Amino acid sequence: MAIALEGIIVIVGNYGSGKTEVTINLAVEKKKAGVDVRVADLDLVNPYFRTREARILLADSGIDLVLPPEDMLHADLPLLSPVVSGMIRNPSPLTIIDVGGNDAGATVLSALAEAFRDKYCHMLQVVNPLRPATDTVAGCLNIRKQIETAARMPINGLIGNANLIDETTAADVYRGVEFVEQLSQESGLPLRFITAAAELLPDIDLNRIPCPVLTIYRQLVPPWKKAHIR
Amino acid sequence: MGKVLMKGNEAIGEAAIRAGCLNYFAYPITPQSEVAEYLSRRLPEVGGVFLQGESEVAVSYMILGAAATGERVFTTSSSPGISLMSEGISYIAGMQIPAVFVNIMRGGPGLGGILPSQADYLQATKGIGHGDCRLLVMAPASVQEAAEMTMRAFPLAEKYLNPVMILGDGLIGQMMEPVEFPDDLKTEPSKKDEWATNGMDTRGSNRRNLIRSLYLDPEVLNQHNLELKAKYDRMQQEEIRYEAYNTDSDYEVLIVSYGTMSRVCRTAVDQLQEQGMAVGMLRPQTVYPFPEEAVGNAAAKKSCLAVASIEMSMGQMLEDVQRSVKGRQPVHWFGKCGGEVPTPEEVIEFVRSLTK
Repeated sequence: MAIALEGIIVIVGNYGSGKTEVTINLAVEKKKAGVDVRVADLDLVNPYFRTREARILLADSGIDLVLPPEDMLHADLPLLSPVVSGMIRNPSPLTIIDVGGNDAGATVLSALAEAFRDKYCHMLQVVNPLRPATDTVAGCLNIRKQIETAARMPINGLIGNANLIDETTAADVYRGVEFVEQLSQESGLPLRFITAAAELLPDIDLNRIPCPVLTIYRQLVPPWKKAHIR
Repeated sequence: MGKVLMKGNEAIGEAAIRAGCLNYFAYPITPQSEVAEYLSRRLPEVGGVFLQGESEVAVSYMILGAAATGERVFTTSSSPGISLMSEGISYIAGMQIPAVFVNIMRGGPGLGGILPSQADYLQATKGIGHGDCRLLVMAPASVQEAAEMTMRAFPLAEKYLNPVMILGDGLIGQMMEPVEFPDDLKTEPSKKDEWATNGMDTRGSNRRNLIRSLYLDPEVLNQHNLELKAKYDRMQQEEIRYEAYNTDSDYEVLIVSYGTMSRVCRTAVDQLQEQGMAVGMLRPQTVYPFPEEAVGNAAAKKSCLAVASIEMSMGQMLEDVQRSVKGRQPVHWFGKCGGEVPTPEEVIEFVRSLTK
């Protein structure tokens, strides 16, 4: 099953839910499928592990990434590039906006209200039930409400991202699917896709998964995992 | 409860709660603000107290005040914030009351940058505040270890009636790893009747504990400092922790590295092994007290030709390594300090250069 999404996708969720990994991998997969993709790193609240760390990979893949000015890349300042509202007004076939965590991170969206006016967008909440604040349906709904209030935009879909990074098992993925399906039922939000790490895919029976699966090639890894023997 | 995926900063906050500490006062600073963010939501759920001070100086004295009453209390900050707290830390050590300080280090000096660093090693281990005071300093290398060290820090602070510091770099605070909180690290606060302030004997105790760091009589002050020194000597005897890696067989080079830098070195050691070069590593888990004897013994191995102190600072740990090696081997330094973490390839290249 392919992920059928086009237009503007706004990726939100709680801190550490995996928004940036989802953004990078979705962008690369869609680009490989021949879709023109633009990405904006709108994480104004988190100092490390942002989309900007994958800028070389994205550039090499031919994906346009909108960032704060180069000399401000490592600042912990809430810099919003004016280019972002332009890319919302005149979107590419696929425009992905990676927003910072929680309501604090989503607040920036309300500043873009003018640009979003009359534009349909998929505002998708990334959910990892193995994170502390989103291990219950009530917790996810609570985060949803906080984000919607701060963003002044409604969430209209879900992305299941159950993982413990390197320690994820197939069982975690299946349990994650059950969890987001229940969340989908109780919230009325459609489940758009789930994720699975590339190395875990051989262990997963895709027939047991009722929605598309985005393969994750982890990009935001600590330096000791980036090693290659020369 | 099974494993959950947490940022180091969140895990440190949760670990403190699990250890029975319900008082957290802090002032936000990158890269550790998530501790405050997390605890500002979590502490009210468990009946605890979260307070944001107006500055780090204020926070250090809020910690002092709470600690003086015998309550478990802690704070977290990053490099410049710890500098501001150092006066209060010295007072707390002088008053002999327990408290836990977490430093998630960023690049310096001054405002420096917000990326990971280990450039507060000397401050933490040798120069935290004025006067003859020392902290027990533990340096985690993973989110799991950060959680466990935080849980252990409270009973240790009470054992020595002295501040304990968790010294992590920015990566420890920011990276996410699976973590669990071992039940067996839960502890009961120690008996405080012997030392905590009790006002006008409201606890029914018949002794009044005066907490102070002012000793005007030189003989008494000297005696006080000897008492403190005896505690620091006892830490040397009882609290040293380290991990040895790949040291069972012969090795040509010994790496000494701590914190997340040691994770990079571990990858380098594995890759060098695959390439046919044996390298051992010693990772201090306590940096004060420093595992002097273990480093010395590991360097004394016949096959060992050189020792390398690899750190995200300009060689702040180097002196401790040299002191431990006692001139038996040349000791070299390799590191970076600006926020860029040395890569395994850079470590491999450096280690190879030592045997050429």
